[in-house]
Amino acid sequence: MTKKTSVETFEVLNNIVERDQTWPVMTERHGVENPLPPWKTSLDGLCDALDQTCTSKPPLTFKERRDEEDELSASLYTSLPYPENQLVALAHSLLKRGVIDETELRERLALIRQRLES
Amino acid sequence: MSNSHHDHDHDHDHAHKPMVDEITDFEVLEIALRELCIEKGLFTAEEHRVFTEYAEQIGPTPAARLVAKAWLDPQFKKLALTDAIKACKEVGVDWLHPTGFGAPSDFMAFKILENTPTLHHVIVCALCSCYPRPILGNSPEWYRTPNYRRRIVRWPRQVLSEFGLQLPDSIEVRVEDSNQKHRFMVMPMRPAGTEGWTEDQLAEILTRDCLIGVALPKPGVTNNVTPLVREAIRPASL
Repeated sequence: MTKKTSVETFEVLNNIVERDQTWPVMTERHGVENPLPPWKTSLDGLCDALDQTCTSKPPLTFKERRDEEDELSASLYTSLPYPENQLVALAHSLLKRGVIDETELRERLALIRQRLES
Repeated sequence: MSNSHHDHDHDHDHAHKPMVDEITDFEVLEIALRELCIEKGLFTAEEHRVFTEYAEQIGPTPAARLVAKAWLDPQFKKLALTDAIKACKEVGVDWLHPTGFGAPSDFMAFKILENTPTLHHVIVCALCSCYPRPILGNSPEWYRTPNYRRRIVRWPRQVLSEFGLQLPDSIEVRVEDSNQKHRFMVMPMRPAGTEGWTEDQLAEILTRDCLIGVALPKPGVTNNVTPLVREAIRPASL
């Protein structure tokens, strides 16, 4: 685990980290007891589906995904709890490889929020 | 239309548990990543749905049931220790088709490690976070951390003591490292004070932590342990 952490950062993810809508903050604010956020199992499904596609081939192999999750959780996203750090690290890995584009992600986030708040 | 849908007698005044009435950036991000991955053809919505359903239904119950059965039935115990995959089928877990169409990152040889009066097992995945998910559910957060993964293989007794498990020197501690194709689970010894117990009673004290090997089953204890988490010392931060 001596591999250097990538210094590349993404503003769209940094903004999410700064807004700090993490599950512990939410549970405290709303008096909820669930230990994990409701999107956790969907994230598990996302990682499993991705791992099935990319067992050992690009764009993001299982080993790369997990290694980068560990590295990023202990560096760039150290302020995030689990599973928020897993989610943001996955987004980081996909952005870093160009699987998704930062502008595309920013636009999609706005679109989804609009949809959920409608 | 009649009001028959209100003719039942359930209590309309029952208290609802509070909910998070706020859309978080993380909820939005999870949906965005998923949609973009599907649109780019990395997987289908159907594949995601099946894996999510799988993640929602797995848990440690079948593993607890398996060990409880083994404690009560010597023949079943023999099967569990010699052909764990077959024994799992008897508690409803099919390792070859855990999701209905297989899970490549979960396929493996599965072995159950028997504790004895002189040998204690504990499992880890030093490389990433491989875990016997089909029978034990998703791994706890601490199991995924580099802290646990690095330290349990070097200083197992110290790490176990952080979970409140102090083992005498007369008991050998064996750390079993999972890998892509091999998964393990611990079969603890049946504790004193459980004589005459039913399978259901025994299953209750077989917590996830006991089956990982960071705790021992004990009458009256049905919850997992929250470890004393210590930050790993990373050379980069020195």
